Amino acid sequence: MTEAATAAGPVDSGPTAGERFINGILPENPIYRQLLGMCPTLAVTGGMQPAMTMTGGVLFVLVCANVIVSLIRGLLKPHLRILVFTLTIATFVTIVDRFLAAYMYQMSKQLGPYVPLIIVNCLIISRCEVCASKQSVRVALADAVGQSIGFGLALASIASVREILGSGTWFGMRVLPAAWPEWVIMVLPPGAFITLGLLMGLVNWYVDRRQPSRR
Amino acid sequence: MAEDTPREAEAQASPEAHINVAPSPHLASTSGACTTRWMMLDVLIALVPLIVAALVVFRLYAVKQLAICVVTCVVAEALFTRWRGRHANLNDLSAVVTGVILALSLPWSAPWYVGLIAGTVAIGLGKIVFGGLGQNLFNPAMVGRAFVLVCFPVALGATAYQSDTSALDAVTAATPLTRAVQDGESASLWSLFLGNVNGSLGETSALACLAGGIFLCLRRTASWEIAAGTILSTAVVALIAQLLGDGVLSMLHHILAGALLFGAFFIATDPVSSPLTPTGKWIFGVGIGLFVMLMRLFSGYPEGVMFAVLLMNATTPLINRWTIPRPVGGPAPVQV
Amino acid sequence: MRNNYLAQAWLVILLGLCFGGMLAAVESTLSGRIAQNRLDETVDQIPKLVPGATREASTQDEIDGERVFRAENPAGQLGWVISGGGQGFADRIELLVGVDARVREITGVYVLEQKETPGLGNRITEEGFLSQFAGSPAEKELVVVKTGARAANEIDAITGATISSEAVCRIINQTLKRMRGDLVAALDKE
Repeated sequence: MTEAATAAGPVDSGPTAGERFINGILPENPIYRQLLGMCPTLAVTGGMQPAMTMTGGVLFVLVCANVIVSLIRGLLKPHLRILVFTLTIATFVTIVDRFLAAYMYQMSKQLGPYVPLIIVNCLIISRCEVCASKQSVRVALADAVGQSIGFGLALASIASVREILGSGTWFGMRVLPAAWPEWVIMVLPPGAFITLGLLMGLVNWYVDRRQPSRR
Repeated sequence: MAEDTPREAEAQASPEAHINVAPSPHLASTSGACTTRWMMLDVLIALVPLIVAALVVFRLYAVKQLAICVVTCVVAEALFTRWRGRHANLNDLSAVVTGVILALSLPWSAPWYVGLIAGTVAIGLGKIVFGGLGQNLFNPAMVGRAFVLVCFPVALGATAYQSDTSALDAVTAATPLTRAVQDGESASLWSLFLGNVNGSLGETSALACLAGGIFLCLRRTASWEIAAGTILSTAVVALIAQLLGDGVLSMLHHILAGALLFGAFFIATDPVSSPLTPTGKWIFGVGIGLFVMLMRLFSGYPEGVMFAVLLMNATTPLINRWTIPRPVGGPAPVQV
Repeated sequence: MRNNYLAQAWLVILLGLCFGGMLAAVESTLSGRIAQNRLDETVDQIPKLVPGATREASTQDEIDGERVFRAENPAGQLGWVISGGGQGFADRIELLVGVDARVREITGVYVLEQKETPGLGNRITEEGFLSQFAGSPAEKELVVVKTGARAANEIDAITGATISSEAVCRIINQTLKRMRGDLVAALDKE
C-alpha cells in the first residue's frame, strides 16, 4: 500500500490504489452503500445471465472511461469536464452495445434499452468525477475494477434471489424441484424493489452490527 | 428504545405535562373498555356471519384457508416483532383480524403455500417494516393478497375458482364477475345476495357482509362514511354504465357481486390506513369506488377492490393533510 | 475571441474526432454481422414453420412493400413465411406465420417478440400452445375457445391468459387476411 502511495506521486492526496480497490467491493459498494446505478440493478436482475452480462458491460465501460479520463485529467477545464466524461462514456457504451448485438444477439435483445442506458449510469460518471479526474491512471484502474466487482456482487445477490425464487433456476440451470411454485412476482419489477429493499436492510443490519459506534 | 428513557424521566418529573404519544388507532378511552383489543374483537364478531357463510358454501376448504392464514399471521407477528427487539403484543388481536380478512379474500382452491406466503408478507412487508400496528401505510391483508396474486396468477386468477371435479356445487362455475367479463352472462341477483355463488371465501354472500358491516358501523368501529362513500360512488358509476348500455351487469350486480361489500365494510375501513377526518373519509370511500369501477369496466381484471384500496391507502396521508378540520371559533390551522 | 473559444474547446473537439473515428471503425466492422443476426433469427425458423423447406434454399422477397420469405427446398416452393404484429396483453406481439404455397393451411407459428406476463401470457411461446396452429385452415378465421377445441379452426386458450391467446389468433387472422391475395397472386405470376 505504501508503494502505491509513492508511485501515485506527491500531487495525489487521495486514497491509494489498494484502498480504492477494496473500498469499491464492500465498504463503498456502489449499490448497497452509495445507491448508485439503480436502473440496471432493478431492470436486469431477473436472472443471473443478464445481470452478469450487464456487469461485464459496466466493467469494460468503467475501466476504459476511468483510464482515459485519468490520462487527460491535466487538460480538463472545470466547466467542460462533465461533457468530456459523458462523451467518453457514451463512446464505450456504444461499442459494448454493438459488440453484444454482433456476438450475443439474444442477450442483446433481452437487455434491450438497458445497455445504451449505461451512459446515464451515475456510478460511472461519479467514479470519473471522484477518482479518475483527480488521481493517477493506476489508482483509477484499481478503482474501476473494484467498483465493478462491487457492482457485480450486488447484482449477483439480487439476481440470485430473484431467479431462484422466480424461476427455480440459477444461471439457467434448474436448482429447485419442478414442483416449486414459481414466484412470478420476483421476475417482475415489484420483485426487484422488494428484493433490493430487503437485501439492503440486511446489509445495513450487518454493517451496524460490525460497527456499533456508527449509530 | 434507549431514546425514550430521558423523555420518560422528564414526564415522571412533571406529571402534569405527561402526554402519551402513541400511533393510531387513536381512541378516546375512559374506562379502558375501548382499546385496540376491543376494537379488534368487534371486527371479529362482525366477521362471524361471513365466516359462517364461507363455511356453508365452501365447507372444509374454508376451514383450511382460515386456519393457515390466522396461524401464519400470528406466528409471523410474534417472530418479526421479537426480531425487531420489540415486545410482541399478540393480545391486541390485530394479527388475528389480518389473518381472517386475508383468508376470506383468498379463493377456496388456493394451495397451502399461498396462505403461508401471503400471511408472512402481510405481517412482514405490510406491517412490521413500517414499525408495527398503527404505522403501516397500506392495509396489511391486502399487501399480502396483492403479493400472492402477482406471484401465483394461475393459483389465484379468475380460473382458480373453478373446479369441475369438486363435490361442491358452488365451485363448478366461474365467479359471477369473471363470467360477465368473459362470457357475457350475469348471475341472478338473489343468489348473489344470499351467497350461493362462487368467489373468494368472504365475498360470496352480500347478506353476511351487510349484517357484519352494519354492526361494525353501529358500534362506530368502522367509519360509515368510508363504506357509504365506496358503495355510493360504485353505484353511481355502475348506473351510468348501465344506462349507457355497457356490459351485461346492472348497478345491483356491481354492488352485490365480487368483493365490493366485503371491501367497503371490512378492508377499506381499517382505521390505521384510512383518513381521520369525516371529509377525508368521504373522499377516501368515493375514490375507492371510482377505482373499483375503473378497473371492472376497463381493465383485464374482473375485480378491482384490492388494488383500489391499496391505491387509496397511498393517498391517505395527503387526504389527511388536505382535510384538517377548522376548530370551532378558532383560526384556520396553518398548513405545514 | 476565436482563439479563446478554441483554447476552451480543443480537447472536446479532438476527443470527439477520435471517438467518432473509433465508432465508425466498430460500426463498419460489425454492422454486417448484426444485420445477419437479425435476418438469421427469422431464416432459422423457416424449416420449422414450413416442414420440408430448407434454410439454404429459401429466399427473401418483397411483396406489396412487405418482407416475406419463400420457404423452398431444391424441388420448388413449399410455402411462405410472413410476419405480423399487434397489441397483446402487455405490449406488442411479433409473430412469424408459416403457410403453404397456395395459402390454404397454416403450417406453423413462431413468436418473435413478446412481453406478456411471465407464467401466464408468456406461455404463448410454448410448444403446447403453438403446435395447435399447424394444420389449421388459413382461409377460415381462427377462433379461441375455453375448453376442448373441436373444429380445425378452433384454438384452445391458455388457462388464465385468454387475452394473450386471443391476441395471437387475431394477429394471425389479420396477417393472413392482409397477405393472402398478394401471396397467391405472386405465386401465379411465375
